[in-house]
Amino acid sequence: MNQVFVVFLYGLATALATGLGAVPFAFARRVSPSAIAYANAVASGLMLGASFGLVAEGTDYGSWQTVLGALSGVAFIRLTQVLLRRHDLEFGKVRGGGARQMLLMLIVMTVHSFAEGVAVGVSFGGGMTLAFVIVVAIAVHNIPEGLAISAVLRPRGMSVAACAGWSIMSSLPQPIMAVPAFLLVDAFTRVLPYGIGFAAGAMVFLVLEELLPEAFDRARRPHVALVVSLTLVGMMVFQRFL
Amino acid sequence: MDPTFVVLIYSVGAASVSGLGAVPLMVRARLPLSWIGWSNALAAGLMLGAAYALMVMGLERVTGAEMLGALIGIGFVYWTHAVSGTADLDLNRLEETSPVYGYKVLLSDTLHASAEGVAIGVAMTVSLPFGAFMALAIAVHNIPEATVLAAILTSRGVRLRDAAGLAVAANVSQVLLAIVSFALITAAPALLPWGLGFAVGSLVYLVMVELLPECYRQAGHTSIALVTIVAMGILVLLVGGGM
Repeated sequence: MNQVFVVFLYGLATALATGLGAVPFAFARRVSPSAIAYANAVASGLMLGASFGLVAEGTDYGSWQTVLGALSGVAFIRLTQVLLRRHDLEFGKVRGGGARQMLLMLIVMTVHSFAEGVAVGVSFGGGMTLAFVIVVAIAVHNIPEGLAISAVLRPRGMSVAACAGWSIMSSLPQPIMAVPAFLLVDAFTRVLPYGIGFAAGAMVFLVLEELLPEAFDRARRPHVALVVSLTLVGMMVFQRFL
Repeated sequence: MDPTFVVLIYSVGAASVSGLGAVPLMVRARLPLSWIGWSNALAAGLMLGAAYALMVMGLERVTGAEMLGALIGIGFVYWTHAVSGTADLDLNRLEETSPVYGYKVLLSDTLHASAEGVAIGVAMTVSLPFGAFMALAIAVHNIPEATVLAAILTSRGVRLRDAAGLAVAANVSQVLLAIVSFALITAAPALLPWGLGFAVGSLVYLVMVELLPECYRQAGHTSIALVTIVAMGILVLLVGGGM
């Protein structure tokens, strides 16, 4: 089979794995209002952990580039946020602030998939020997990302199936970006730290600007803090063993 | 020079720098609430950056011990807060005047400083440059933290000089814990991953339970997020620069 096609297929498989993140929500019977606080806390821990991992990888390629990328990621999300606030949004029967948060979450995670797709392509560029291991690792690593997305969408009224669908959608840039990155490894290796930083900056900003303040408003501080730090540690361990 | 003595010098330096936190109060006796929020956010960003640095250090020597250490770190801070009755304590109430509140704030700042002491001590066992980096990060972090404490104390009628002294005194536990954890890990190197994990877990938990919740009520979400991210970014640059 054509190698380019293989890279694309592998990338697609990893995107589909993201949908699995919605599965735990199929077992939660009812979504209570305080659930938003804890779901936000879970998403925050997962995204902070993922960003720590990304930044650690990005600084291997270049620290300045990673940090510059992160600042542009922050600026991008801030701009999107301002633009979204200007409109009365409706998203999946949800209106107003909730709809804005859901959209922002999807935008951030989709943007982050672009960077991850580049990372996948570049790592394949080193040769196809480790390809299968890398694919399994990325696929498993995408599940908590689907979990984070569903944690934001589900308590605001999205159905489990729709959560899974949107999770997969947000990961589709991965196979799309993996192919050009695989073909043009040298060019993409140079932009990789910027892209990784961009993704990490966007995620951390969303966590600090939208998810955490709301979580602290809706539940007791020690509980929120406990959920965030436990998920963050869990995510770090998870990434490191894969 | 005896390595324990080096740890003593660095951690004493980090603790005494917190006296500088009183300087903004010389300029303005009553700080605007948003300044206090930004001080908290700056402290939070530096602390998260320190946790990131400790995590990166552990990357090559990943063990279950490190994960368990992190869980112990989180659990330890959670438990000490629960036992000392400071779990839900709002550390930034300028108008609160009961003596109990003042003691609780000092107690909880002391507990906070202990976790940072472990971070310095553990980092020192990894390598001297990394330890010096950690001491510097914690030292800079101590300044805005001391500004917040001094603002609370002076608004309760404590003289500025004494407030600066108390801010340094609250960090004495930092020196103690830095030396104890350095000595322990030097004597039993198998404890290093546990120590790294403990430091990461306790620092992250403290940021989430003490620093961030306060500052969202003191300044806009966006400015808080920006200050925190820039502070983290500076530490990422320093760690990435060949530590």
